[in-house]
Amino acid sequence: MLPRDLLAPFRIIRYSAANAWADMWVMFTPASWTFGYLSRLLTQVIFFALIGVLLDSPELVRFLFIGNAVVFMAFEAFISVATTTWERRQGTLPLLVAAPLPLWPVFVGRSVQWLPTGLLSSSAALFVLGPFFGVTWRLPQALAVIAALLVIGVSMYCMALVFGALVLAAMEMRNMVYNVATTVMMMICGVMVPLTFWPDWVGAVANAVPLTHGLAAIRALAEPSAVAPIAGEVVANLLVALGIGAIWMIAAAVLLERLAGIGRRSGSIEFAA
Amino acid sequence: MNALAAGFIFEVRLLRRSFDEMMVLVTAPLMTLILLSITEHAGRTDLAPYAVLAPALIALWTIALFTSGEIIERERQNGSLEPLVATPVAIGSVITGQILAVTLLSLVGFAESWLAAWAAFGIVVPIVHPTAFTAALVATAFAMAGTASVMSSVFVLSRSVRAYQNSLSYPFFVLGGVMVPVALLPGWIEPLSRAVFLSWSADLLRDSLTPEPVTNLVARTGVILALGTAGFLIGLVLLRRALDRLRRTGTIGVA
Repeated sequence: MLPRDLLAPFRIIRYSAANAWADMWVMFTPASWTFGYLSRLLTQVIFFALIGVLLDSPELVRFLFIGNAVVFMAFEAFISVATTTWERRQGTLPLLVAAPLPLWPVFVGRSVQWLPTGLLSSSAALFVLGPFFGVTWRLPQALAVIAALLVIGVSMYCMALVFGALVLAAMEMRNMVYNVATTVMMMICGVMVPLTFWPDWVGAVANAVPLTHGLAAIRALAEPSAVAPIAGEVVANLLVALGIGAIWMIAAAVLLERLAGIGRRSGSIEFAA
Repeated sequence: MNALAAGFIFEVRLLRRSFDEMMVLVTAPLMTLILLSITEHAGRTDLAPYAVLAPALIALWTIALFTSGEIIERERQNGSLEPLVATPVAIGSVITGQILAVTLLSLVGFAESWLAAWAAFGIVVPIVHPTAFTAALVATAFAMAGTASVMSSVFVLSRSVRAYQNSLSYPFFVLGGVMVPVALLPGWIEPLSRAVFLSWSADLLRDSLTPEPVTNLVARTGVILALGTAGFLIGLVLLRRALDRLRRTGTIGVA
């Protein structure tokens, strides 16, 4: 049997995830999510895909459509940058820091509500709007796309936790960090133009973002001839995304525990120091 | 007029301290780079004016939606709506002054967009027809302020509409043809688009950046001004209704 201490992080993540889910239904009703939130996301995809029409290129319509539909999985995972700060805003952070258990599992579970919503948003765009923009899927591809979206969501969530930890110490920056980070992702991660368009150093930065690799996998799956020949490429890209996500996760855990330590030592405990 | 000026000055002071309200001015240059990267990658340098103009219009609309749209609600939450209503000046003038301040500041997005294109891609988009550009810009700012006054009142009148505030951005960027001209959209969208001042503004501003002569400048500017005036009038009527309701229901001080 595993010692109780080893299981504690999983228990904390479960409680924190329940909290996150409750938050979700305070923020949205099914109607406001569908007609207010999702409809806006879908029109954003349409807005960018239509640029392909302006450029008179069906190929670019497809490229822009897929990139902008998939990016929502990453965007929603990144909302956790802002929601991570809710513990501090609600005044519960001092209690969490004072508790005799690690802090990082709380934040791992705290914003998971954005993963299912991100999956729904991106899936709605890819599978419902897709045919209108020349993007269709066979069942095996569609299932693989859902798996790839999950990988993007989880790995981007890990990356977002690092940014979330940083904004815990600078709460007023949370919206700015979210907006700038997501806009830069749109720009450099192969969403709008291939990576090769940008200088090498920009490509190097983009390669540290799991979205870049996950999106490449989905683009491979979207090729009309896709199935067996691209399976290796898809799996390799997704494994790279997961690997990078794991590195971000470790960095987030270290950073959160360090911030908790600083808070305890300085007596500020709310990370205000 | 004093109330208008007071509202204007108050809002400018407020915005200097509330950075989040003008957040979109931080991302506007990045949006310029995104749109320019698409047109440049496709080898369509002729579309650079489109890519530079669109983020500026997006910034203008977004700030109106999230900052001007929140003005009355913000006063309400601050508890400052009661003294504002009780003062002998017309509250509509104060709020119009505030909206004008927000709108004028959001025009910074135009300068940012032009600068970003030059700094990152070395692209300078010349203003080929300065008179048409200036007329279109002034009319657009006026129409934006008028539309913002409608939003501001609607968000107070209906909490359920406020829940959908977020969704009023990209649908209008598509309808307003801010990047892709309405003429390229399906025909059935056009009547809807033409009711949105952005579609007239985007077309006229784009035309002022291309070498071909600008046709029907006066009529097109007139349509933008007319839509803006309609916005102001509807906004004032709605504001009166909103305040009447708040007085009647006794909820004026409820944050």
